[in-house]
Amino acid sequence: MASHEHNDDHDHPHHESHPHGVQEIEPGYYELMESAVRELLIERKMIGADEVRRQIEVLDSRTPALGSKVVAHAWTDPGFRKRLLANGRKACEELGISFYDDTQLIVLENTDKVHNLIVCTLCSCYPRPVLGLPPDWYKARSYRARAVVEPRAVLAEFGTQIPDDVEIRVSDSTAVVRYLVLPVRPAGTEGFSEEDLAKLVTRDAMIGVIPVQLHAGSAA
Amino acid sequence: MSQAENIVIRLPNDIGGLAADRIQRTDHELAPWEKRCHALADVLDFRKIINTEEKRRGVEALGSEWVGKLNYYERWIVAFATILFQKGLLTPADLAIRMDEIQKRWRDEAVLAKRGD
Repeated sequence: MASHEHNDDHDHPHHESHPHGVQEIEPGYYELMESAVRELLIERKMIGADEVRRQIEVLDSRTPALGSKVVAHAWTDPGFRKRLLANGRKACEELGISFYDDTQLIVLENTDKVHNLIVCTLCSCYPRPVLGLPPDWYKARSYRARAVVEPRAVLAEFGTQIPDDVEIRVSDSTAVVRYLVLPVRPAGTEGFSEEDLAKLVTRDAMIGVIPVQLHAGSAA
Repeated sequence: MSQAENIVIRLPNDIGGLAADRIQRTDHELAPWEKRCHALADVLDFRKIINTEEKRRGVEALGSEWVGKLNYYERWIVAFATILFQKGLLTPADLAIRMDEIQKRWRDEAVLAKRGD
């Protein structure tokens, strides 16, 4: 864990569950506040007793592997690619990926002329149904402040050099509109199965901070 | 532009385009309570009690000092509590009493668990 400033979104050490069901470390002030708010809302029947636990299961089921599957499918099925670019949410739902929130998804296609990058300058909006929760750096001040004004410099800090003749488009997410980058399929993957292609597609490539690389994944 | 104008033009969350440090590729696995807090946010949204934009504005309304001192999910839970007070769904006393009860419950259970070891 890298050191960071106060105002970056860094959080406390984890609490392990005690075998008897009591966690070892006494819950902190804000943890007590979370438990108290939840219990009071359940008692007053404003939320269901099991609802938070069930939503944790939903959150745990969302990982970048879902996004990778979407990207690999778009690379191998031109009809799906077209539908995905026309309506991201509908196309993902076609693959069985449900949207548990009221968000729309716009899929941005990278080409040899355009490179897309996503950010949420105001907070931390992110395509959670297809990628899970965002990494801390996505929610941190540096990325949010700089991505919209100096994307080439930001990309360089991720080790990504975009040629000058490639346009960079930065899309700023909102509470109801989220983005996902459809990266360029790397050369040399012509004979790959959809499954092997999906293994190459990383979370960071779908945010747009790195390209998909042939040697980065575990596919043969 | 004067310092005073800047204060009016930008609310605390509105940082797009400002100068900032190099990117540090930080990440961490959420603590159990942080994950519960995230799930609670989703449930509050589904139940139309607090939506995502209200949550964002609620965090902003904490002001830059608190936003700077609290971490991500601490800001969320404080914002939720404040919004629930404003909507008349909870009172500060309800919350304070329940927090004390939960702390006491934890301490009592910890004593029992220790005896059981």
